[in-house]
Parts: sequence; structure tokens; C-alpha cells
Amino acid sequence: MDQLVFALLNGTIYGLLLFMVSAGLTLIFGMMGVLNFAHASFYMLGAYFAYTLEPLTGFWAAILLSPLLVTGIGVLVEKFILRRVHAFGHAHELLVTFGLSVVIAELIKMGYGNFPVDYRVPPELRFAAFSISGIDYPFYRLFMGAIALVMFAAIYLLLTRTRVGIVVRSAIYRPQMVEALGHNVPLVFMGVFGVGAGLAGLAGAVAGAFYTTNPNMALELGVVVFVVVVVGGLGSMGGAMLASLLIGITNSLAVGSNLRPADLFALVGQRDWAEQIGGLMTVQLSSLAATLPFLIMLIVLVVRPSGLMGEKE
Amino acid sequence: MNDTVLKFENVHKSFGPAHIIRDVDLDVHRGERHAVIGPNGAGKSTLFHLCSGQFAPSSGRILLDGEQISGLRPAEVNRRGLARSFQITNIFPGITVHENLRLAVMRKHGLQFSFWRFAGRLSAVNAEVEDLLDRLRLTARAGTLANQLSYSEQRSLEIGMTLASDPKLILLDEPMAGMSQEETDYTADLIREITRGRTLLIVEHDMSVVFALADRISVLVYGEIIATGTPEEIRANAQVKEAYLGEEVAA
Amino acid sequence: MKAKIFLVAIAVAVLVALPWLVSTPLLNAAVQMLIAALFAMAFSFLCGRAGMLSFGHAAYFGIGAFAAVHAMNAFGGAGLLPTPLLPLVGAGTGLLGGLIAGYFATKRTGVYFAMITLALAELLHALAPHLKGTFGGEAGISSFRMPAWGFTFGSVTEVYFLTLAWVLLCIGLLWLLGLTPLGRLALGLRENGHRLRFLGYNVHALSTLVFAVSAMFAGVAGALQSLNIEAANYVVLEAHVSTSVVLNSFIGGVRVFLGPAIGGAAMTFFGYITADLTRVWLLYQGIIFVLVMMFLPRGLVGELVERFSGGERRSGGTALLDGGWRLAGFAMAAAGCVFLVEFLQRFLSTGYRATATGENWPPIELMGFDWSPGSPLTWLLPAALLAAGLWLLGAANKRAAAQQEALA
Repeated sequence: MDQLVFALLNGTIYGLLLFMVSAGLTLIFGMMGVLNFAHASFYMLGAYFAYTLEPLTGFWAAILLSPLLVTGIGVLVEKFILRRVHAFGHAHELLVTFGLSVVIAELIKMGYGNFPVDYRVPPELRFAAFSISGIDYPFYRLFMGAIALVMFAAIYLLLTRTRVGIVVRSAIYRPQMVEALGHNVPLVFMGVFGVGAGLAGLAGAVAGAFYTTNPNMALELGVVVFVVVVVGGLGSMGGAMLASLLIGITNSLAVGSNLRPADLFALVGQRDWAEQIGGLMTVQLSSLAATLPFLIMLIVLVVRPSGLMGEKE
Repeated sequence: MNDTVLKFENVHKSFGPAHIIRDVDLDVHRGERHAVIGPNGAGKSTLFHLCSGQFAPSSGRILLDGEQISGLRPAEVNRRGLARSFQITNIFPGITVHENLRLAVMRKHGLQFSFWRFAGRLSAVNAEVEDLLDRLRLTARAGTLANQLSYSEQRSLEIGMTLASDPKLILLDEPMAGMSQEETDYTADLIREITRGRTLLIVEHDMSVVFALADRISVLVYGEIIATGTPEEIRANAQVKEAYLGEEVAA
Repeated sequence: MKAKIFLVAIAVAVLVALPWLVSTPLLNAAVQMLIAALFAMAFSFLCGRAGMLSFGHAAYFGIGAFAAVHAMNAFGGAGLLPTPLLPLVGAGTGLLGGLIAGYFATKRTGVYFAMITLALAELLHALAPHLKGTFGGEAGISSFRMPAWGFTFGSVTEVYFLTLAWVLLCIGLLWLLGLTPLGRLALGLRENGHRLRFLGYNVHALSTLVFAVSAMFAGVAGALQSLNIEAANYVVLEAHVSTSVVLNSFIGGVRVFLGPAIGGAAMTFFGYITADLTRVWLLYQGIIFVLVMMFLPRGLVGELVERFSGGERRSGGTALLDGGWRLAGFAMAAAGCVFLVEFLQRFLSTGYRATATGENWPPIELMGFDWSPGSPLTWLLPAALLAAGLWLLGAANKRAAAQQEALA
């Protein structure tokens, strides 16, 4: 039972982290029609920048400055690269960001080596928030969840309560109209792209310390975020949130479980048959956890191809 | 006795709280040119989307030659013999005019997953494409990429692709939208010529075209058919004058 | 048309004569180039012709590679089929894998499709380590080529000819496929899938079939690789395999028939000759790709074809002159950029960091000279090259634009 509480809590926090990254992706896609393949690379950059800054500025300043740097890079990418290829169509924009993700990953490998770096939660934050039946729950996890929640609140208020937010929201639906009304849409696009990148950078700076910071983190997270987006539907923040939590929780439940697919067949009295098949049937669910998001995606594709909250194409 | 090709029975469509089509009953007779007119937002395009398989009706049925087609997918509706054009030009922009028409013709010949013959050697298909090109007056443009055509040529191509499967019923969705008077005359002429002997359901804003082209006209206002009849009957109908023409005049 | 046939005939003749023209290591590289070319062609059948961008083609390449290794090891090493026919196994499994994956992936279009293909490839990649019997774990599975039909397949030359025959056959088949109704409909999928639906076509089934055909040829390429290296390791399922086929194909140009093949072969060749010179070839590949996407959106071969087929509006002389300036500018900028990257790579490497202690920064050897990280020249030289090159490029472009305007 306690295990379950922990797993649910871990899953929720991982889900919030996924949402932090997928929210930016959804925002950019909704607004500019660009699927930014390099979005998870911004997450990685956030972690590496924070790791680099930490010895110089201390942890707190590092996780504040790093997203700002990433925002700057996002702005440059939008202004000098994306805008140039805009005329060639959305597929081209996707390809260019794909190329960028390769370049960023290779630069990181060049600068920091093709192995994890020692970016860790600072000692003063390494304490237990609470404990249930003798098992401590790390404070830092709650801290990550809290950052994510504060961020959503901030974005939500920004989008719904401010003038800028109104312009941004209307630019999503009617960019030409907004431009005709005298707003500087390219500037808005640049801003949104930068903010989206910065959000991913913040997520990276915070989460990189807890999970691992290595040159593969962009790909690993990126794939899960794409799955979130396919499952949730790109158009809706609500869908992204639902799918993030669904995948986060499923993942962490699976990690904590020592069930095997063969055990499920025991329910219908076919355990021996399943054991004989071997292969995947006898692998523990915990080691298959990484594949569960993909399975969820396949099921969603068959049952509801447009995504949980997506509109029909 | 009138032979009905397309029949709407109590068709209703709502999107959430918005009722776009309200209990429409409509018969399209074989061989007639039937126009649907109505002010903006009356639901004309939705009506087309319903019978071509884009949307399923919320209630009621649509029958093509006595068979239910409402709720089927677009490809299935097309294969039962209903082909449509689109209000916004919907062609294959990056390939040639000839190729556009060939894709439209091939389906009728059951060529879909065929990878063992050459498209260039399908003589029946190619003859039909040539014939269509000729009737669309596009022969000289056969090798041009579709996106290089002029607007009215693209509209002609769009109509030609609709015609290619030799359907029982052709739906044309505002074929003259955005055309100059000259282009409109040309296209109206083309439509009259190439749909001879076929059944046509057309949505169009240009009243002079509608009254000149159609055998019968239905008037759709706020999702309801308020009148159906010959152009003379529609012209004389008081309800239509009030609800539709009156509004046009006022505006 | 005649010129094209002539060019292709010459290319084939050169390929056939290659074993007598080049050294064994180069011939080995040629085998890899051929495989990369076929893989890129298979990818582009899907991406260029049918407009479906796949980020997960490693999966079908890998399926073909593993199937071929298992087929080679079948019957106690006797092989399921004679060695020359083993790529058929890759084709079959690639087709099957493509049908299954394609069924799911083509449920969506556009960016969703791209993301799903990536996810499916990662699914296979994540599962593979748990299936030791099939994918051989860390070590992979090794095998060896059995003699057949009077050939021993012991020499590189024989392997080269086997690969060449299959690659030419497959490229020929892909070309013919483009002329069939299915191939024409693939174009329709790319241009306007929505319209195809209203013309009565089953778009999902069509997309799945096109996907499967592409996966089938990718499987052949994978099988050829297994035959070549007599082993398969789940490294072939990794994302960078999918990545490089995307990069290679687009650098060549996915919409011209042989563009991807040329891109794949050329990039593999450059990777091979620079293998001793640089450790960051993938970085260069990525940079080249981004530049091509930004400035030559049709790809290198695509732009060349466009230049030669589209009527050149300006007189040959000035165009050539501009071309010359551009080339010079590009070469200077590239030299500056390469210098910077290579220097930084060495400077940041762990080996160098270990030797550098405190204030002592030993010089770094590059292009035959020693460069001290503390010296301004080390940084000014590449910066100057880069700036001058970019200035030249900009000036040439401005000139060309002005002339275009004068003509228009």
C-alpha cells in the first residue's frame, strides 16, 4: 500500500515534469504550426547550462540563469533559422529543428563527453520531506512538482489575465487577423518560442540534477514527450496534461512492480503456456517500463486515433 | 413518376448546442440539375459534408439510390457513386494536370494497390484522361503542374476530377466562388456541357448562374429547406422573397 | 532523357569496374556506400514520393539485418537460402514489420506520423535487450557467409558484386514501382491525401502499403549489411541510424530519383575518409544538413537538377563568376568553421584536460601546426576566415540579386 502511494506520487511528479516540456511544445505548435523537434534538446541544454553554472554561481542562481540562457538560444533559433525556412513549409521547419537537435547533441558530446556528468541535487536540498512506514520521501521530488505547478499557474495567469496573453491566444487562431490589428506577430512568435524553450530549459535544469544529465537525455525524454503529444492531442493543453500524468503514473507503477506478463496469463490459467513461450512473457514489468508509453500510444492509435482530447483531423 | 437518386430523410446535424441542419427532407431526381441556395451560414456546405461522408448526421438518413450512405466514410460514399468538388480548390498541386485526372480515373478501374503494371500503359485509363482533358479544354495544359494553372483552370480541373469516376450524382460546392464574370460564364458553360445527362447537386452564390443552370432549386435558410421548385416557382415564392431575396436586397 | 540514360550507363560501368580501380579498403567503403544508398532510396520512397517523414527507419533496417543473420545461421550454419538470396529474407521481414508498424503509424499524418515512427523504432530498441535469443544481447549475433553457386564470398570483391547486384536491382525496382498505379497514388498521398479519400481510395491501406514497401527495401539494405560484416548488433536499432538516413537523403534531395542514393553514398564516403581526421563527423553531418535545409531546400542533387533543367536566365559568364565568388566564400567560411570545431574538440577532450594543469595550457597540434589556446592568433584566424567567407558569400548573393532585379 505504501509502495503504491510512493509510486503514485513519483508518477505524478514525473508526469508534471513531462507536462512542463510538452506544454512548451504544444504552445509552440499551436501557435506557429511548428513541431519543434529540438524542444527536448532545450531541456538538455537547460541541464548542462545549470551544471556548468553551478560551481560559479551556486545552485539557485544556476537554475534561474540556465533557463534564461536557453530562452536566448530559442530566440536566436527562431529569428535566424526557423524564420528563414518558414516559406518552405512546416515539414521543412520540422526537419531543420531535427537537424538542430543532432547538432546540439553532438556539441554537448564534444563539450562534455559522451557520458553522464556529475550534476547533482545540492546537499542542502537532500533531505526527506516525510516518511511513510520508515521509508523517506525525498524533498527534491516535491520541489520539482512544486516548480512545475507554480509554472503552470504563472502561464495560465499570463495567458488569461494579461494583454500579452490575449494577443498570444488570438495569434494561435488567427495570426493574420492579429497582425492586421497592428500587433507584431513575428515578435510574438519569437517570444513564444523563447518562452517555450525556456520552460524546457527550466525543466532540464531542475530535473537534470535529480535524474541523470547525459547526451542522450534529449532523445530519451523527447520520445516520451512525443508519445504524450500523440496520446493527448497536440491542440490541447488539457490533453497534454492528461497524457503526461497517465504516462508518468503508468511508468512509475511499472517500475515498482515485479509482475511479469506471464503472471497476467495466470489469471486465465495459462501461466505455464506463457512461461513456455519465454521471451517477453518472462521479463519483469519493471524492466519493460520504458516500453509502456509506446504501448499506450499504440492502443490510443487504434481506439482513438486523434488522441484523448484531440479533435478529429 | 420521378426517379429519386438522392434522398434526405429528416436529416439533422448539430455541433454541440448549434443546430446547423434541421430536419431536412430533400429529393434529387435522376438527370436533373438541382441547386441549393441560401444566405451565408444557412448550412449549405454542411449539407454537402453530410452526404459526402465528411460528417455523419446527428439523426435521419441519407439514401443514394435507395441505399443508406449517411455515416459511411468518404471513400465508401464515393465508391457508391457520389463524387464531390470542394469550395476551396482541392487538387493535387505538385503533379501534372494529366496525373491529377489519371488519379481520379484510376479508381473506377479498380486500380488501387496495383504494382505490377505501368500506369503509362493503361490504355483505357489514358484514353479516358485524354477525353476528360479535351472536354475540360485543358489538353494544352496536360503537362503543366496543377499549381501553375490559372484559378479558373484549377476550378475546371477540380470539376473534371469530380466527374472522372463517372458518378451517379455530382456535388459541386460553389464552383464559381471567387471568379470574375467572364470566368463565371466560362465555367457555367463548361458545367452545362460536361454534366449533360448526369445528375447534379450544386451549391452556388451567383444567382444568375443558379437560375440559368438549375432545373430545380431548394432554398436553405437557417438549416431548414423553406422551398423547393423550378426557378420560376422559386422566383415567385413569397416566403423565399421574404427570407432570402429580401435580405439580399436589403443588404 | 537520352543524356540521363547515358549518365546512368556510365555510372553503372564505373561501379562494375570499381574492384579493378580502387584498393581493398576503399572497396570495403564502397560496399557501405552502396548499402547507405539503398537505405536512403528506401526511406525516400516513403518520404520523398509519398510525403511521409519517418524518423524511425532504423527499425526496418535492423529487422532485415537480424533476420539475415538468423537465416545465415539456420540449419546449423548451412543457411536458410543460398548466400546470394539471403537479402530476400531481409525483404520479407522488412515488409512484414512495415505492414505492422505502418498500420499504426499511418493512422495519423504529418507531424504525428513522424513522431509515431520515432516512437515505434524506440519501442523496438527498448525491447531488443530483453530478447537475447533474437537480438543477441550486448555482443550481438555473428555468422559467416557460406559459399554458394561457385562463389566463396570470401573476398571483398565478391561481396562487393553481390551488394552491387542487389542494390542496382532494388533501385531499378523502386524506379519501376514509381511508374505503376501504386507509385502514382503515392504521389497523390503526398500532394493531397484528403482528396484521394474523396476520389474513393482507401488512404489508410494505401499508406500502409507504401510504408511496407519502403520498409521492405530498408530490410534488404539491412540484410546486405549483415552479409557484409557477418554480424548484427542491436546498435543498428539505435536512433542515430534513423537519423543519418534522414540527413543523407535530404542532403541529396528526396524529390529527385537518385538524389537520396547520391546523398547516402557521398556522406558515407566523407564519413569514411574523415574517420581518421575527425571525431565529430556527425556534428559536421548535422551542420551540413541544417545549412542545406536553410539554403538549398531541394537538396544538393535537387538543386543541381533544377539549375540544369530550368533555363538559366543570366549569361553563363557572370553566373560562373558569381559561382566562383560564392565557392571561395563558402570554402573560407567552412575552413574557419572546421578549424574552430576541431580545435575546440581537441581543447575540450578529456585527454587534453588531463594534461592541462593550473595555468599551464600546452599547445594543440592541428593541421601540422601547434596552436596555443592562450594566443590570440589561434582564435583570430578562424574568426577572420569565417567572417571574410560570410562577407564574400553575402556580397556575391547581393550582386546576383541585383542582377536578377535588373533583368526582371
